[in-house]
Amino acid sequence: MREEAAEETPKENYILLWLTGAVIFAAIAAIYLYVPTEKTEGAVQRIMYFHLPCAWLSFFAFFVVFLCSILFLWKREREWDIYAHASAEIGVIFCSLVLITGPLWARPIWGAWWVWDARLTSTLILWLIYVAYLMLRSQTEPGSMRARYAAVIGIAGFLDIPLIHFSVLWWRSFHPLPKVITSEGIGTGLDTSMMVTLLISLAAFTLLYFVLMGQRVRQEKLRDEIDRIKKDKLYSH
Amino acid sequence: MYLYLNQIKAIVWKDLVTELKTRELFSSMFIFALLVIIIFIFSVDLSIVKANEVGPGVLWVAFLFAGTMGLNRSFMLEKENGCLEGLILTPADRTAIYFGKLISNLIFLMVMEIFILPLFMVFFNVDLIPFLGPLLVVIFIGTLGFCAIGTLLSSLSSNLKTREIMLPILLYPLIVPVMIAVVRMTGQILDGKSLGTMMNWVGLTLAFDIIFIGVSVLTIDHILEE
Repeated sequence: MREEAAEETPKENYILLWLTGAVIFAAIAAIYLYVPTEKTEGAVQRIMYFHLPCAWLSFFAFFVVFLCSILFLWKREREWDIYAHASAEIGVIFCSLVLITGPLWARPIWGAWWVWDARLTSTLILWLIYVAYLMLRSQTEPGSMRARYAAVIGIAGFLDIPLIHFSVLWWRSFHPLPKVITSEGIGTGLDTSMMVTLLISLAAFTLLYFVLMGQRVRQEKLRDEIDRIKKDKLYSH
Repeated sequence: MYLYLNQIKAIVWKDLVTELKTRELFSSMFIFALLVIIIFIFSVDLSIVKANEVGPGVLWVAFLFAGTMGLNRSFMLEKENGCLEGLILTPADRTAIYFGKLISNLIFLMVMEIFILPLFMVFFNVDLIPFLGPLLVVIFIGTLGFCAIGTLLSSLSSNLKTREIMLPILLYPLIVPVMIAVVRMTGQILDGKSLGTMMNWVGLTLAFDIIFIGVSVLTIDHILEE
């Protein structure tokens, strides 16, 4: 049994790892060497190439949590619970990075660390929902109960996102801020070199997600394996 | 169908009778909501800000905090003497248990809120009488959404070691859309606008109510499964 578990790191994993490393390297090279500095915002604009992929990755990760939660309640296989857990952890890490890189950019550009803009507010609430999800997981004993409860929160949390989005959007539109939030709409007038850099960065982060997922899922499965072996030993004597 | 409604009625009735005997929950929720309002009055200077602007927020924060107490109590009471196992063992459907609990929570919270309103009127010096109709509608749909997700999470958190802490941590981020909607609506009603001018908020709150009652019905079987 143990040999089998050890052999579960097939060659594809290493290929993925090397590929991710190469694309991340390419992304960093593109961000710092290739892409020209933005005219009005200056060097600080380069943080966008990290900020946006982080946001994409965290939303993607939360969507995976939602899907795996449904699949878990439906099929009741530990596999889906592991996937949901791993994805939630990755999502929270990258959502935190979004909330950190955002203010770093906003301070020189908007002149404030934080504005209660719709997108910022929804991201913050999203972060809180999934932190609560992880807290729930850490405070319950491993087992069926923890998996079931977490799945319920994973589903409820994701279904809440559109409602949060609209409520925060309308909430803001009643009190428009004097700040030029439209400066966020750089996306439309993006230069080709910037677009290319952004796409490389997006690819790098997406690959990174799968690498992290693979590692975390493997780790969790090995933990299950160890628990099982421990129990076996305990009862065999 | 008739049997199902009877099961729900029995659970609601059981909760109401328990509450009428002890009056524990109602009095503590009421006093707590009152305290929240008073503390907020100390923290904002009413001579500077308009009561209409901060009032709705204060009112709903009081409802939210006191309501959380009520929700926490709702399933803990069942846990104490193993009543929950009894309820699960009855031939009633799990969703009937959910709806029974939802309705009894809704009744407790609505009664508490209706008792708080006159005090709010006096403390904030706003006249609610002309707006009472739309205000009660808003309070009803808001409290329904709060209870819909709150009852589900309360049934879940009652099995945790840190239940009193986990319920608000899980509940408050999820309840954000309803909180924004009801505070906006209450504010606009106090400004003399009719419900027809804020259909987007009414729609959002109703959508929240329906979605989370739906989620609860679909998932309650997985929570009440011991």
